[in-house]
Amino acid sequence: MVTEARRPPLPLLRNRPSFTTVGGLTLVALLIVWLIVNLVKTPSDFAEIFLIGLTTGCIYALVALGYTLVYGILQLINFAHGDVFMLGAMMSATVAASVFGLTSGQSGVVVWLAVFGTLIIAMAFCGTLNATIEFVAYRPLRNAPRLAPLITAIGVSFILQNVGLAWKGPNYIEVVDVLPKSQVFDIGGVTYTWNKLIVVLITVPVLILLVWLVERTRQGKAMRATAQDMDASAMMGINVNRTISFTFLIAGALAGAAGLLYALYVTNVRYDQGFQLGLIAFTAAVLGGVGNLPGAVLGAICIGLIQAFNEGLTWHAPGSDWTQSIVFAILILILVFRPEGLLGERTPEGG
Amino acid sequence: MTEGNGLMLELKDVHTFYGSIEALKGISIDVREGEIVTLIGANGAGKSTTLRSINGLNHPRRGSIRFEGRDITNASPHSVVKMGIAQSPEGRRLFPRMSVHENLEMGAFQRADRKGIREDMDRVFELFPRLQERRTQKAGTLSGGEQQMCAIGRALMARPKLLMLDEPSMGLAPIFVERIFETIVEVNKQGTTILLVEQNALMALDVASRGYVLETGTVALADEAKALRQNEQVRKTYLGED
Ligand SMILES: Nc1ncnc2c1ncn2[C@@H]1O[C@H](COP(=O)(O)OP(=O)(O)OP(=O)(O)O)[C@@H](O)[C@H]1O
Ligand SMILES: [Mg+2]
Repeated sequence: MVTEARRPPLPLLRNRPSFTTVGGLTLVALLIVWLIVNLVKTPSDFAEIFLIGLTTGCIYALVALGYTLVYGILQLINFAHGDVFMLGAMMSATVAASVFGLTSGQSGVVVWLAVFGTLIIAMAFCGTLNATIEFVAYRPLRNAPRLAPLITAIGVSFILQNVGLAWKGPNYIEVVDVLPKSQVFDIGGVTYTWNKLIVVLITVPVLILLVWLVERTRQGKAMRATAQDMDASAMMGINVNRTISFTFLIAGALAGAAGLLYALYVTNVRYDQGFQLGLIAFTAAVLGGVGNLPGAVLGAICIGLIQAFNEGLTWHAPGSDWTQSIVFAILILILVFRPEGLLGERTPEGG
Repeated sequence: MTEGNGLMLELKDVHTFYGSIEALKGISIDVREGEIVTLIGANGAGKSTTLRSINGLNHPRRGSIRFEGRDITNASPHSVVKMGIAQSPEGRRLFPRMSVHENLEMGAFQRADRKGIREDMDRVFELFPRLQERRTQKAGTLSGGEQQMCAIGRALMARPKLLMLDEPSMGLAPIFVERIFETIVEVNKQGTTILLVEQNALMALDVASRGYVLETGTVALADEAKALRQNEQVRKTYLGED
């Protein structure tokens, strides 16, 4: 359980140990020692924090997958993705309260149906939004130099943030608090609450659905082929434009699901949260190996755990003020030590 | 056989550009049903660009392209495939992280007739037994010759009316080259029309019925393959004979 926060020191597989490798290994070793000391000192806190990390990791995973899907097919970092997620969270908050009329503390079957309904609406909304963004902002630049769509993506991100700002104002808005916080289990002082379990219970089927879609369906095949060689895919009779639209639709839908879970789990939303969470999720995608779907999930769970340990552990944890710095430090470290990420492979094969 | 005379593909005065570079400066080419037609010419003459103009990846700015009587000048690549044109592109362009089997399946992406697809898969494995041995291997890890077989097989999986091959013999050992050309003739006998781009002009003219010689974006010569084979200039420039 302890070492799941970090994978074994992979740089060992490379060449001779260089200065950077030794430095990296030392860092990982220190991290492991720190985790072990914390585990020994307060085992039940440690386990509980681990479960919290897993839960936030799920939400990060849904967003990280969107970055990775789009990067895989267009080699574009869709900076607007986090903001699509944010609008999804706002849409969920609005739909849950205004359309389904939920109120905080409400319970019963009605709540489940409403949550499910909101999930579908948020996914459809974000999927459509993301596909529209691609059509309007990225497609005209398909053959332009790489930098052009990248800058456009940053522009779209600002536009969406401002939409959020205009829609809900500059302050945190409260989201109806309907996920029950009663205990699922209490084993030796380690408690696990329903609201966390629900996040996992919604994330896992969505992930399974995604794997099935990408691996088994005709559209999924078209997606994989287009990601590997766009021209060759066109020559096979694949409608490349439609495949790209579809990819953005799926990525957006995942962000919508994440938006709903975030809104209900954290119970507040603000216009700039997409930017923050987007950066975390992007780091997760890079950590796992950008373009690699299982990698995005693994990276997201790692980041979720690191964040939870940092903010929750008591023995020499830097604390929440440092979370963003740590996430960025990780991003830089991956780019230095293992730019292809944990699960990415070095692919000299070009295409 | 829509046009009585069996004219299948007709390029008329095609001009194709890369940005402001005019790669094709008015090319006219005919391919009749059942033929093997070859395009030969030096590097950069515009052979691959001609194929990209036909398959919809690079639409001509001027001129027209007709296939079986239908105008496909500005058709999208996937609709061109649907009409019955498949291609094995220059440099193979396999999907490197997919297996041989999956690559072949991708060739049949437009088709829904499972039984026919399975038959064609068997036929490809018959043509290239080596591919059957390697069917679960990732295409990116195949040898050059195996990749070429896979690329041709993949194009055949579309069960095309017109098969376009861009330098199928490139980088292959003589024994493999021989095998590839035998396959081309075999596939043609089974009823597929072929447009063949080749550096290996000698072998291309041996299997083709007609040929076009391209020079810097124009058609320099067009004739029966036999006649081109005898042509003084062709022999000097492209066949390395004197
Ligand atoms: N993507 C591109 N951008 C700009 N110019 C290009 C591009 N592709 C090809 N060209 C130019 O168009 C011309 C024709 O190229 P093409 O690839 O059709 O030649 P080719 O006859 O197939 O040559 P080869 O035998 O080397 O494959 C060349 O001058 C080439 O430099
Ligand atoms: Mg060429």
